[in-house]
Amino acid sequence: MYDLVIVGGGPGGVAAGVYAARKKIKTIIFAESFGGQSLVSAGIENWIGTKSVSGFDFAKMLEEHLRAQEDIDIVDGVLVQKVVKEGNSFKVTTSDGKEYQTKTVLLTSGSRRKKLGIPGEAKLDGRGVAYCSTCDAPIFKNKVVAVVGGGNAGLEAVLDLIPYATEIHLIQRSDVLKGDIITQEKIKSSPKVKVITMAKPLEIIGDKFVESLKYEDRNTGETKEIKLEGVFVEIGSIPNADMVKDSVELNKYGEIVVDHKTQRTSLPGIWAAGDVSDVIYKQNNISAGDAVKAVLDIYDHLNRSL
Amino acid sequence: MVKIYTTPYCVYCKMAKEFFKKNNVAYEEVDVTTDDKLLEEMVQKSHQMGVPVIDVNGEIFVGFNRPDIEKALKIS
Repeated sequence: MYDLVIVGGGPGGVAAGVYAARKKIKTIIFAESFGGQSLVSAGIENWIGTKSVSGFDFAKMLEEHLRAQEDIDIVDGVLVQKVVKEGNSFKVTTSDGKEYQTKTVLLTSGSRRKKLGIPGEAKLDGRGVAYCSTCDAPIFKNKVVAVVGGGNAGLEAVLDLIPYATEIHLIQRSDVLKGDIITQEKIKSSPKVKVITMAKPLEIIGDKFVESLKYEDRNTGETKEIKLEGVFVEIGSIPNADMVKDSVELNKYGEIVVDHKTQRTSLPGIWAAGDVSDVIYKQNNISAGDAVKAVLDIYDHLNRSL
Repeated sequence: MVKIYTTPYCVYCKMAKEFFKKNNVAYEEVDVTTDDKLLEEMVQKSHQMGVPVIDVNGEIFVGFNRPDIEKALKIS
């Protein structure tokens, strides 16, 4: 029986693991991989104490810091599929079919990419529809592309594409871009970038590879079409809360509702922190801080229930 | 014979290469941004445009899924 199961290897999970190990809480952490969604970032420039680090190196830093702790069990490459309350403890089931018993659970399982859900997207996935701009931007050299999504991830995808693509259409559903002003200024200074606001993607068209994108101009209701060869989708994320969806309160976005003083969820014994929770700001630094808060509250809880 | 098609900042490519090194798997790396012909070769082999593409003795894998590659290389 473990005292604590931590789910996730992003900044939240790793911060929790480090604190739990130092508090000598009997802990096991499950990480599908390390680094969270920042893994694919070309450069993280706001992780405090580090001027700039690639997502890959960030993931390594986190993993090394965690593995430097004594007395913590680390299982990587598996997903937690189910967390079920059994009496005063919890049963945790993983994707490799194993089961673990624990007194408490901290969910720092983050979120995964949202897809557009429009015709052509699935069929042309990898055939011009792309979800990793740092990976695939160079492949669209001398091509016309679109980036869907005007948040930070969308703006960063545009930045990744500027050195390669000839023309980049940034498609945003609402009337303004949402990402950081500093990044907005960078992309607007490139003559290659065309920002299209009030645009709702309707269909991605192509036989073997992407040939065009249809969207609705939400100002006029007109359907428009851009001839292009690449569509990068950066429209936000879905919380990874499936393992507790029947037992813990979620909000309408599927995020786990927590008490923001302690990170407790609606089910005593389960805590959550980071992007899987209903925290307003999805940030590496905040996930780490909130996960630490959770571990300190878990530590008090474990001692109280001795 | 293992061949991996990459781009310079692709993190899954780096993860795959680290995995090969860790397991003493000899591999040839092809950076598809250096030559359009190499990119064409990758698209022909994999029928798609994302990296990494890993060719393990003619078996083509898109992306880096560790268990799949372990199976193909018979690494347990």
